[in-house]
Amino acid sequence: MNYWVQRLTASLMLLLAVSMLTFAAMNLLGDPLFNILGPAAADTKPESLEKVAAAKELYYLDRPLPERYVRWLGDMVTGDFGVQFGSTGQPPVSELVKERFPRSLTLLVMAQLLAAMIAIPWALISAARANKPADRISTVNSFLLIAMPNFALAVILKYVFGIKLGWFPLTFKATDPWLTRVYQTFLPALTIALPAAAVYQRLLRTDLITTLQEDFILMARSKGVGRRRVLFKHALRPSLFSFITVFGINTGTLIGGSLIVENIFRIPGLGSAIVEAILREDFPVVLAIVMIITTAFVLVNVLVDAVYTLIDPRVRR
Amino acid sequence: MSDTINRRLGPLFWIAVGWLVLISLLALLAPWLPIKDPDAYYLVRGERPPYAPSATHWFGTDQDARDMFARTIFGARVSLVIGFVAIAFGMLVGGTTGVVAGYLRGRTDRIVSFVFIVFLSFPSLVLAILITALLDRGLVTIALTLGVLAVAPVGRLARATTLSFAEREFVTAARAIGAGDRRIIIRELLPNVVIPMGALALLGMAVAIVAEGGLAFLGLSVEKGPTWGKLILIGAGSRELEKSPWIAFGPIIILFITVLSLNYAGDRVRSYFDVREIGL
Repeated sequence: MNYWVQRLTASLMLLLAVSMLTFAAMNLLGDPLFNILGPAAADTKPESLEKVAAAKELYYLDRPLPERYVRWLGDMVTGDFGVQFGSTGQPPVSELVKERFPRSLTLLVMAQLLAAMIAIPWALISAARANKPADRISTVNSFLLIAMPNFALAVILKYVFGIKLGWFPLTFKATDPWLTRVYQTFLPALTIALPAAAVYQRLLRTDLITTLQEDFILMARSKGVGRRRVLFKHALRPSLFSFITVFGINTGTLIGGSLIVENIFRIPGLGSAIVEAILREDFPVVLAIVMIITTAFVLVNVLVDAVYTLIDPRVRR
Repeated sequence: MSDTINRRLGPLFWIAVGWLVLISLLALLAPWLPIKDPDAYYLVRGERPPYAPSATHWFGTDQDARDMFARTIFGARVSLVIGFVAIAFGMLVGGTTGVVAGYLRGRTDRIVSFVFIVFLSFPSLVLAILITALLDRGLVTIALTLGVLAVAPVGRLARATTLSFAEREFVTAARAIGAGDRRIIIRELLPNVVIPMGALALLGMAVAIVAEGGLAFLGLSVEKGPTWGKLILIGAGSRELEKSPWIAFGPIIILFITVLSLNYAGDRVRSYFDVREIGL
């Protein structure tokens, strides 16, 4: 119990540190006033000065930095990410996030599901034929896949399945029904899933081979249980251990990759939102997305630890 | 490929090293090689670019009739420099702090480890986006940004390796004959830490080169001149892929072989010296 209190406190401290650093960097390195008003921010004409005063009032820019930070933090905790920079500040950042976030989440969940669906059978097959030609070919394949940059794989899949074969649409329409959008998300999800599946397969294969040398497997085999049944019913479950850990930890890594893949397949999720916001120097949006991604990343890591403790009583503290 | 210890580097390792030497030489000597000018427009009268690969344009040309092969080689200059500078910076800063933290332990170690953890629990791409968005997008900035990102993983490995050696007999022996901290770190510990770091350097360079490509796809790579990421980005649009796939595929092939060679060489060095601690 004590461990979990420590762990959660550390995570919160970490998020606080990240938010402080990001907030300070955004405000000190960039010029918020210029981002809001454009060239008018530096004008000395009376009407410009009026605008500057109004903007300062609206965005609390006349307050000292720590006060603005606390204000922003308080709002953020209640789910309010403030207003976008720009003449109107509309729609609020929370609205934008609410619209974009589900798409990124769908992509990530689909990618992980696909990765698991590919990795588990793949590992079972190669573990059953360990060090035979089929296994060696699969080892080479997974090595190649792991070395493949995600943007290169995206371009290749887009070319082969999207353009040459025409199996998948290359446009994403927010107005389409849910099922159509899932179908449109398949190719980007596959891009993220394939290298991840290769990583999982390497791991699961090694663990399966170790498990297959255990006495209880020999026991089951000598009782006359078939090879296939032993593999599925006896060997798979105890081997899933490090797979589950890495599956969780990898989720954080995949978030980064999905930002890029979203941009290639033109899915209007958080990835494209952050790019647009950077180009506009719309810092509240950048800040919001950075915080969401980091929080997700930290949460996933804590969750992995929790799941780990649940499935293996040996690591309970 | 890394789960068995193999005491031979094997012919594939030398092929990978050969490719890395070749591409580095090509990049280094690019301005003096008999290849086309990467910025010239090789327009042919009566034909609209992009032109497909041919004997004159090995990788074809882009929409502006610029030679893709020359651009890929010149792109290697930027991409390889980014990869090299990034990992060199990571080795220097991360390696030093990691070794010192692992040797001194105590409060220094706790502080350094906490900083590493903060960096590692931050999605690295997001950090790269932040820095490049706030600062300029020059070659040095991008390379050093990726270098900063390399500090924590490199430092963690250096610290772990140092910890495993710091209690060994030869360190005690050195201390017994009166060697100071500096001498122990440099003469006794460093040679043992360098080998696993070498394997990590190869893998890390691959990661940095790929990261540049990723940044390019977010519009945040080096502004001037071609890089592999930017070249692929130009050819990656739906219309370009449909009409002129060679624009993207030339650089993709070169990038992939390079990354693969770095990964393979790093992997072999690692299993050759039986290094276990690398987790990248």
